[in-house]
Amino acid sequence: MYRYDEFDHDFVRARVDQFRDQVARRLTGEISEDAFKPLRLMNGVYLQLHAYMLRVAIPYGTLSSSQLRKLAHIARVYDRGYGHFTTRQNIQYNWPKLSDMPAILDQLAEVEMHAIQTSGNCIRNVTADHFAGAAADEVADPRPYAEILRQWSSLHPEFSFLPRKFKIAITAAEHDRAAIQVHDIGLQLKRNSDGELGFAVYVGGGQGRTPMVAKLIKEFLPETHLLSYVTAIMRVYNLHGRRDNKYKARIKILVHETGVDELAAQIETEWAHLKDGELTLPEKDVEAITAYFAPPDLQPRGEGWGELAAWKRSEPAFSDWVGRNVAPHRHPDYGMVTISLKPIGGIPGDASADQMDAVARLADEFAYSEIRVTHEQNLVLPHVALADLEPLWRGLAAEGLATANAGLITDIIACPGLDYCALANARSIPVAQEISNRFASPARQAEIGELKIKISGCINACGHHHVGHIGILGVEKKGAELYQITLGGSADENTSIGEIIGRGFESERLTDAIEVIVDTYLTARNDSSESFIDFYRRVGPAPFKAALYGGEVEAA
Amino acid sequence: MREMTAMSTIWTLSGFVTDDPWDHKGDGTGKPVLSLSDALAKSELSNDPIAVRIDPADDVSRLGPIIDRVVFVAVNFPAFNDGRAFSHASLLRDRLGYGGEIRAIGAVLLDQVPFMLRVGIDSFAVSHEPTIRRLGERRLSGIDLHYQPTARPSAVGDSYSWRRKSAS
Repeated sequence: MYRYDEFDHDFVRARVDQFRDQVARRLTGEISEDAFKPLRLMNGVYLQLHAYMLRVAIPYGTLSSSQLRKLAHIARVYDRGYGHFTTRQNIQYNWPKLSDMPAILDQLAEVEMHAIQTSGNCIRNVTADHFAGAAADEVADPRPYAEILRQWSSLHPEFSFLPRKFKIAITAAEHDRAAIQVHDIGLQLKRNSDGELGFAVYVGGGQGRTPMVAKLIKEFLPETHLLSYVTAIMRVYNLHGRRDNKYKARIKILVHETGVDELAAQIETEWAHLKDGELTLPEKDVEAITAYFAPPDLQPRGEGWGELAAWKRSEPAFSDWVGRNVAPHRHPDYGMVTISLKPIGGIPGDASADQMDAVARLADEFAYSEIRVTHEQNLVLPHVALADLEPLWRGLAAEGLATANAGLITDIIACPGLDYCALANARSIPVAQEISNRFASPARQAEIGELKIKISGCINACGHHHVGHIGILGVEKKGAELYQITLGGSADENTSIGEIIGRGFESERLTDAIEVIVDTYLTARNDSSESFIDFYRRVGPAPFKAALYGGEVEAA
Repeated sequence: MREMTAMSTIWTLSGFVTDDPWDHKGDGTGKPVLSLSDALAKSELSNDPIAVRIDPADDVSRLGPIIDRVVFVAVNFPAFNDGRAFSHASLLRDRLGYGGEIRAIGAVLLDQVPFMLRVGIDSFAVSHEPTIRRLGERRLSGIDLHYQPTARPSAVGDSYSWRRKSAS
């Protein structure tokens, strides 16, 4: 993985000093709260309902074991003993004191981490496929390009006061695990017919109150032009994105109102000036960054095949876990392990300091000291020999980290909701917990198969409800929480926005409604090979509406 | 902005300017600075030097044909979070090759000044007292290491092509 050189170290230290000075000036009143707000946001510091929240960047979701140990240490010393992994592959601390922030940033800098641009109207953490560098289906590792974009976008003077936040995601496989089509810029690394690397460029995807699927504006952008082309997009957006209404300020609205062809033409015109200029990426620089991401030297571990078969026969719980949470690695003797942060009845994405330490220790022992954070709020060990799966599983189980539910109905994404967030209208976490408890039975989960439930506590859609197979949106109606259900959303290579199924449900009726939806699917599907989303795409909303509302007249 | 007062002080990297000739606020106290449309209209009528104010929604590239006659540009930040003038300044320097003075007017605050310098702005109309004090002490809040080239020249060094270093 990427390692800081002297330049990076000096930069991050200077950034901590800069923020310390800003905090000091705020405390003496030299900076108004209005003017301080964007400065603290550009360093990941939010003011929430009960306290400040600090969001720490985990670039493209890649962590070393020593970094994870540091995150555990911060949780223990400066927070209440836990952290919360987010849908943008970052970690949030919900209870740090403002006065501790510079010290926390010092600690992060020691392990080559920071909180730069995890919030604010700037270019945010660049996210990538959590299986990058291990998946069999990728054309190349997308993370070197994410790292180049991370560097280029850091404290970019022209693009730090954009109309609104700006999110970039990169994948390198046809099967999109990075949800690139719901990002402001989505990049798909691919090869052209001459075998050269480049990107399909999508622009204008996003969720929030106006969900939109991104539009393809360039079929193939050679890798050498990555920074000049992205600069052209950013400049057109900075100059022309709407600033009169924050709800219409994302680039998706500019794409929608300008028209994708016209906007693509404006970007192309701007790019013609920038192309082949000083932003051109030299091959040697791409190679030097790529070298940091060289995969570990995976030795043949063929003995694992036989051992794995024997363990699976003797231990059904282990067998279930392997079936659900271990995906094939490009090396046949290895697997990619998902560590579920969705224990039955738990808070999605939360991990205690002890659990983080345990994962770091197990990563050192069995997984080349590398950990990934997924946008689905789980962790991944990307390189584990099949021969090491059984002791790894025992180690995870001892910490409550061996829940065998990756991709199942209890693997729920949820935003922090009204329990923490100042923007929320409704609670998300208790809703996730109740659904998780209702569907706790492993046999029942297995029968249902792949089903993604995503829950947001307000229209800002941090819980990605628009792209949940079942999406749940908390709204406030006449002082009470009400939950609206959408069906048919998806965030992969067949991205779709879910459709509202009918009027909302009170919290005490919501889990029953989810059960009705699931039972409708189970009763009417062709067979167990037809997943929920495939079924929905075949039959549409009618049977679900009938089951949920019967002959009732629908109200909004 | 509550901190803003009517009085503003002009600062450049050489220090405070005491004999500034420009009337960028339009209060009749110096040489006139025209809006973009007025400047373009005037350019048709005479060959006089042009001083122009670029507002956020302006298309700065319209100055292209007359850029050789432009002697002063004020780029307007009506609020500190309106970042369009960063692109205007970049385009003036990089695209139009303008080499004269570019002044930031409006909401000019200490923490934005290093960004403004990097996109080629070289003079600042400041009315925020704590900002004036820090600029007077030459204690800017910027970082000398950069991950991207910008209009203001900075050293390339021997690192990756996109990195730059300012003299401290």
